[in-house]
Amino acid sequence: MNTSSPYDLIVIGSGPAGQKSAIQGAKSGKRVALIEQNREVGGACVYQGTIPSKTLRESALQMVQFLQATDVFEFRMRDDVKISTLMTRLDKVVRAHGAFMTEQVARNGIERYHGRAQFVSDREVQVKGLDGVTRSIRGNHIVIATGSRPRVPAHIPIDHEHILDSDSILSLIYLPKSLTVLGGGVIACEYASIFALLGVQVTMIDTADRPLKFLDQELTDQFCGAFEKTGGHYHGQQQIQSAQWDGFSKVTTHLENGEIFESEKMLVALGRVANIEHLAIQAAGLEPTPRGLISVNEQCQTTVPHIYAVGDVIGPPSLASCSMEQGRRAVCHALGLDSGDAPEHIPMGIYTIPEMSSVGLNEQEAIDKCGGALVGRARFHEIARGQISGMTNGLLKLVADAEGEKLLGVHIVGEGATELIHIGQMGLLHHIDIDRFIENIFNFPTLAEAYRVAALDIAKQRKK
Amino acid sequence: MTIASTAPTEQEENAVLRAHITTQLEQGTLDLPLLPVVANQVLQVSGDPNADATKLAALIQQDQALAGQILRIANSPAYLPRSPIVSLQQAIAWLGMNMLAGLAFSVSVQSGIFSTKGYEKEVRHLWSHALATGLFGKEIARRMRHNVENAFLCGLLHTIGKPVILHLVLTSQTNQENLPTWTDLEPVIQEYHIPAGSKLAEVWKLPDPVQEAIRLYPDQVYLQATSPTKGAIITCLADHLASHVFDSSYLDEETLRALPVIQDLNFYPDDMDALFELREGIQQSVEAFLV
Repeated sequence: MNTSSPYDLIVIGSGPAGQKSAIQGAKSGKRVALIEQNREVGGACVYQGTIPSKTLRESALQMVQFLQATDVFEFRMRDDVKISTLMTRLDKVVRAHGAFMTEQVARNGIERYHGRAQFVSDREVQVKGLDGVTRSIRGNHIVIATGSRPRVPAHIPIDHEHILDSDSILSLIYLPKSLTVLGGGVIACEYASIFALLGVQVTMIDTADRPLKFLDQELTDQFCGAFEKTGGHYHGQQQIQSAQWDGFSKVTTHLENGEIFESEKMLVALGRVANIEHLAIQAAGLEPTPRGLISVNEQCQTTVPHIYAVGDVIGPPSLASCSMEQGRRAVCHALGLDSGDAPEHIPMGIYTIPEMSSVGLNEQEAIDKCGGALVGRARFHEIARGQISGMTNGLLKLVADAEGEKLLGVHIVGEGATELIHIGQMGLLHHIDIDRFIENIFNFPTLAEAYRVAALDIAKQRKK
Repeated sequence: MTIASTAPTEQEENAVLRAHITTQLEQGTLDLPLLPVVANQVLQVSGDPNADATKLAALIQQDQALAGQILRIANSPAYLPRSPIVSLQQAIAWLGMNMLAGLAFSVSVQSGIFSTKGYEKEVRHLWSHALATGLFGKEIARRMRHNVENAFLCGLLHTIGKPVILHLVLTSQTNQENLPTWTDLEPVIQEYHIPAGSKLAEVWKLPDPVQEAIRLYPDQVYLQATSPTKGAIITCLADHLASHVFDSSYLDEETLRALPVIQDLNFYPDDMDALFELREGIQQSVEAFLV
């Protein structure tokens, strides 16, 4: 047993949630320990998730735009521009971001422990190093932020060779001719659209009738249209019976309806599971939920009041942005600090091609909650900046109350959607009227002008 | 080239041998024929119109000389790949069964037969080690949820310089009845296999990550590698594991677990437990290949 003085705060995991928890603790003048099982700080967000997938997306877009420009500007790209070029850039970005995060942790005086954490009691954590040597540390408060990893479905033999998950797909060394993507969620759609854009023949297979079912249908319809234009195909309402490598050149997918799909590679993106198996949370008096998550209240406090859980280990929305805020708020609560008002309107950004983003109520939710809704639309091809930048495939949708006065939600599909959404988010936070978008001046030409166009569309529909 | 034999001393012989190897490396005139057993199997499978495609794919992925030659030719202007062929699996998918069979056939005919006379056991050991390293590389990559194809290829080809040097020595001997002992040859092979492998990989235009792994796989040297595929560091551990399996005088399990490469890969004791559990399976797969 360790007899040294306890830390004010122990944070387990250094992804977005853990890192922000630790920094909040350190900035509040507390002695903080950060336990990370990997050598680097940053977690899956930096090394397998958000940062690499977005970098790959950006590089793919740039590469395709560059290829398209070869016709306009009469030059030729080298034939050997290949996926390794994209992967090398990805590696550089990931390393740079990891180094920045490591430096930030060090700068804040946070003590790092490299090893796997395991609860000994509700205030004591054992850290087992790579060499198997263990060290025990004690803490007055503990934050669990161990994140998640790709789920491995029992009936799909993921081998990271022919059948990949969202981690191993990031180290592909060549573009396959064809790719089957199992799943219709965020990760599945993001990778499906990236690889389709790169010229891979992509087929998505999922149980839902459309991908990203939680999003406004007009957005997903536009996404599907763009996906199909790049040669992709969404095959919905299907149950997968089996998937296997044929031993020569194809992965064969059998559906329960008898259909068979063949592709060179397969990506399995059927959800993620929380990383709690090494933690022995029972020793701290905690029990996982039936879905393998850690249950918390609105302050991210577990059933043991001085232990908090944040990020992917507590389940949806599993957004890096939310995880960071959960980490900050949990530590503020633990230390008795004011964390400010709870975020009301959390935007959701999906880095598909084209991007999609959403905040507030969708049309149906507005009808259910407010007894009606008026919807205004602006298509990017009607916006000068969309024409200038060649970003004509986009839609901004404003949802207002039945009178067309109050802004209730914003939904955007198109390049720049994840940035553009923040205007709507600020509007929602300040409860603004639709007319504010009409009465005020936006830079011209910008895509933000779409807010004005959509607001005018609502104004036109108001009862005289 | 042949070397005149006028009863020189052992030291002189060694110097002549080294000079010969250095010249050949400088000139880049390196060659690597197929083992007789491999060439026979290729001829058998590629000549059979009803042959199982998986058999041919497996054969190509078990032999470093054949694998290297297939990659070399698949990347040649004659086959015009839409992008560089960087993996055996990619080559198989790109070429298809018929073209692959034809290519394997021409490789087996054109590259000649590796003479193993007098060194059967040692040659078998070289080939077994290469394949075992490839297979361990796969499993290490799998545990990292990292690219398995590249890890395998790097492992399979990491010591491709060893048979190249052996072949060079054997073809340079005028008196085939008086071949050097393995004890004399081994240090020479050990000394020159990395430059020879690197040169061959360069001449054959093998994929960049493979060239890097051949050059930088030894302990601590892998820290110089920059490829995001991590082929060099994975191959380093795979090479140790393969030696551990096929050489009883090599490092024991406890010593292996303390190697810096394990820390550098961020492998925990349970990761190593899982790899050690695969020893028997990999040993069986390798032994089945060279029967």
